[in-house]
Amino acid sequence: MQNFWEYLTKIPVGLATVFKTLFEKPVTIQYPEEKKPMSPRFRGRHQLKRYEDGLERCIGCALCAAACPADAIYVEAAENTNEERYSPGERYAKVYEINMLRCIFCGYCEDACPTNAIVLEPIEFPTGYTRESLIYTKSMLLEPPPPGVPGTPQQTPPGKYDRAILPFPPIDESV
Amino acid sequence: MEAHHLLREKRTSEIEAILAKYPPERKRSAIMPLLYLAQEEYGYCSPEAMREVAEILDLDPTEVKSIVGFYTMFFEHPVGKYVIDVCDDLPCALRGADQFVSHCERKLGIRAGQTTPDGKFTLRTVMCIAACDRAPVIQVNRVYHYDMTEEAFDRLVDALANENGTGEAPNEQKQGLDVL
Amino acid sequence: MAELVNLTIDGISVRVPKGTLVVDAAKSVGIDIPVFCYHPKLKPVGMCRMCLVDIGTPKIDPATRQVVRDEKGQPVIVFGPKLTTACTTPVSEGMVVRTATEQVRAAREDVLEFLLASHPLDCPICDKGGECPLQNLTMAHGPTVSRFDYDLKFHNDKHVPLGDLIFLDRERCIQCGRCVRFQSEIADDPVLQFHDRGRGMEIVTFSDPPFDSYFGGNTTDICPVGALTTADFRFKARPWELKTTPSLCTHCAVGCNLALNTRLETKTGGYEIKRVMPRQNEQVNEIWICDKGRYVHHFTRAEDRLHYPLIRQDGKLVETTWEQALRIAADRLERPSAILVGDRIANEDAFLIAQFAKAIGAALEQRPALPAHYADVARAVGIGSDADFKQLGAGDVILVVNGDVEEEAPVWFLRLRQAVVDRGAKLIVAHHRSTKMHRYAAAIHRYEVGQAAKWAASQRADWLQGARNVLIVFGDEHLDGSSARALAQTLANWLILGGFAGKPNSGLLPLYPHANTQGVFDMLEHATRPANETTDTLWLVGVGADEPAPRANFIIVQDILLTERAKRADLVLPALSFAEREGTFTSGDRRVQRFYRALPPLGEAKPDWWIVQEIARRFELPWRYEAPAQIFAAIAQQVPRYAELSYERISRVEPQWPPMGREDLYYGGTVYDNTGGLGARYAADAERSALSPYDVHVPEPTLAGLERTPRLLYRDGELIRRSAVLRAHIVAEPLTA
Repeated sequence: MQNFWEYLTKIPVGLATVFKTLFEKPVTIQYPEEKKPMSPRFRGRHQLKRYEDGLERCIGCALCAAACPADAIYVEAAENTNEERYSPGERYAKVYEINMLRCIFCGYCEDACPTNAIVLEPIEFPTGYTRESLIYTKSMLLEPPPPGVPGTPQQTPPGKYDRAILPFPPIDESV
Repeated sequence: MEAHHLLREKRTSEIEAILAKYPPERKRSAIMPLLYLAQEEYGYCSPEAMREVAEILDLDPTEVKSIVGFYTMFFEHPVGKYVIDVCDDLPCALRGADQFVSHCERKLGIRAGQTTPDGKFTLRTVMCIAACDRAPVIQVNRVYHYDMTEEAFDRLVDALANENGTGEAPNEQKQGLDVL
Repeated sequence: MAELVNLTIDGISVRVPKGTLVVDAAKSVGIDIPVFCYHPKLKPVGMCRMCLVDIGTPKIDPATRQVVRDEKGQPVIVFGPKLTTACTTPVSEGMVVRTATEQVRAAREDVLEFLLASHPLDCPICDKGGECPLQNLTMAHGPTVSRFDYDLKFHNDKHVPLGDLIFLDRERCIQCGRCVRFQSEIADDPVLQFHDRGRGMEIVTFSDPPFDSYFGGNTTDICPVGALTTADFRFKARPWELKTTPSLCTHCAVGCNLALNTRLETKTGGYEIKRVMPRQNEQVNEIWICDKGRYVHHFTRAEDRLHYPLIRQDGKLVETTWEQALRIAADRLERPSAILVGDRIANEDAFLIAQFAKAIGAALEQRPALPAHYADVARAVGIGSDADFKQLGAGDVILVVNGDVEEEAPVWFLRLRQAVVDRGAKLIVAHHRSTKMHRYAAAIHRYEVGQAAKWAASQRADWLQGARNVLIVFGDEHLDGSSARALAQTLANWLILGGFAGKPNSGLLPLYPHANTQGVFDMLEHATRPANETTDTLWLVGVGADEPAPRANFIIVQDILLTERAKRADLVLPALSFAEREGTFTSGDRRVQRFYRALPPLGEAKPDWWIVQEIARRFELPWRYEAPAQIFAAIAQQVPRYAELSYERISRVEPQWPPMGREDLYYGGTVYDNTGGLGARYAADAERSALSPYDVHVPEPTLAGLERTPRLLYRDGELIRRSAVLRAHIVAEPLTA
């Protein structure tokens, strides 16, 4: 009986918390319609980078696919020509797909990349309602070319882009 | 593929003389003398010259090209009437070959490896040509000229530029070398 | 047995035949001496210096010519002042080899540092990356850092076409000369050579056409770096992504062992063959395959592969179900029928078809029809079941009659050429035109086109007497059936009368058109009955488009592709290609070998044996085979010559020498070791019992025979047409005399 009265008095105390919270600003957000600001060093979705002249950094070597512990990356390579050039050197990624459902965002692909082409950027995590929509293709992963610079493929002069791996790949240390 | 006949038409007896030196089953050994002959006739070891030598010896043209590529005295590109080889290996360099080469370049108005526009002289720097005791040494169309000085070179070039077309260099110090 | 020599390598006692090189002796006891230029199939040159080891020999007293011994009685070993190349040094008695000293380690490090001085940083895009001897040996023996400046690396052309099939990357080349030596020593197409010297040295071709050899693809296998790449595999896949399945080549009678490298592919929506590699079988193809076998695989994923049964409705072929297709086929086959069987199908398929034809009383013929005229002779006096091409040499006679070995059986050309050029066998060639074999012939016989049988009949039967072994290779160029049979019988008589029949390395070697000509003949033999005018239903199983077929009211075509023939059929049954199923082939020298499933099936296509069985069940034949292995067991029971064979026996593997295709890629190249079975030959009739000579009737040459043009390697056909890389090589017009 004593317990009963003890419970009864506690009910309004609990309800008081409920009513107090009812008028507070909620901490959750309506993701994915609503997005939270991210830290600049946040490692979100992958982006395939370009050089300043618009050529793709990715050379289709598939080392990211080899390094991926979740087997989320699929690459098919093809050969560049000067008439139709996607990346420096002879090889480029004709097909580049990441299955975002498999990806565990470990960043091993970044480590494996010899040209710093794949970078986990502070871009929102992918969401979707079907499995197919979560297989990101190359066009979805590729960053847009810098302003005023053509995208790929480009027509390039012979001899200018003979090598796939530059001696000292410029690393952007600003972020 | 079109067959080439220049050599076989013009130098028949010489070809036969060269081939006669080797047993028929080893006639590929005649490749170098025939290439010298072809070089004389075609002016340099042109693709046609190499193919004709290959045809004479029943070799694959690639095998002939390999020989031409290995030996520096077979020219794969057109050369001047006089090919001047200046040794700039160590003993010659110690005797001033580097400055001497620069002088040659100035005198002829070309860089080493080039041919004068009139097609008369080709200047090349070469590795040791086995006459270090009288360095600096040059070879003009396989004829040695020892103890070269800038003045001697100028005299030689002037004489050759005005010469009568025998191909022989007028130099009292020359010493012939029969490579054949 | 060769004389044996004792030596010690790193403390391990080794006993090897005299003349063995130190590098091979070490390999035989599992000690790896790294090499780049050395290859066990090529003559040593000692160019790369990677195999430097410390070699010592027993000290010999000059006065007594005896080995000097120390106080313990052990021979005193004198080591050289410098290291020696293990690949050019033959073993000698009492030799001591040290491969793990500090001096050797430093030498390897230095050699690698020099090799890498100008080697590009290409590994991520290099096709060899992942299976690269230079990569692996650098990891194992190389310096951690280079003292050479990156900016001083030479920059050379990275895309030099040596021909339309092979590309050279001059930067990657380490000038080991393996390709040059392969082309000169093995293929005898010396179209690659070194040019220039020092750092300017490069591989060039100056031939016309440039690098156009039937064996060129092998140079990319033995290249220890990614300098040589094939147009077919260039940038197609990374080696570690590839799945490997043992298989067989289907295109000639040699029966080369292949490894099919497959990988996922978006375009075809599943696995596809990325490249075809040789699989080591020292009895068959060593480690070589021809370019046709390497590049012709594209038909397996051609756009017009058949996925579903097709039935003709209102003049057009429309898709249908298996149930309906099989019912229609069975209904039609109840009428007077003829079955024509191509010689690319597996033994299991052919066996079931023969049983079926016998059961329903249908006519049955093999296509092409010509080999069936002499396959029984070739089998009766065939080479012995233990025959070994490697043992052919001095004292043996190789006779090539009316066949162009390089065109019709390219890898046999390599093997026979080696027997003649390297081991001193005597080659006699008889042909109406010149072939590449003529280069090595000790004697040449010529006759008019189509007169091969007449020429053979004009020879004395004992003219080959005195040879140790006689191997006779023969073809059916410009011959009709009866002439080809007369030729085979005459050749067989030489062997029988000369006492060569039944000897292991003597016998007939027929140049059949495809991989299973002999096997299909063996299976069909007792069920064959020629088709006649009364044929109502014609069933064509894997029959080539240019093969003649009798007229019929209803034509069933069973094939893998929508061929010209299938387009005209009334019913089309989709079959699986060799890459999508298992089975066995019997090669021209009667070796029965297995191939395995490398690719998933396409659509609803089925293996040929399944289709035959399903039709047979509608005739109430009690077959319930679920796998080719069960059918092969039935073959072993019912076909006497196959009685000793089983899947277990032909799948057996033995260690091969030289060992290749394993982790140590630098030794043999990127070939694959044999995991699928070495196969086994069934015995020739002459091995079982003495044969009496054939009674030969030589007919006059006929027009039909003269029209049988030579079977060139790149002859036009439904399969080769689907390989874009080979399109420029296809010979549309047959070669005439």
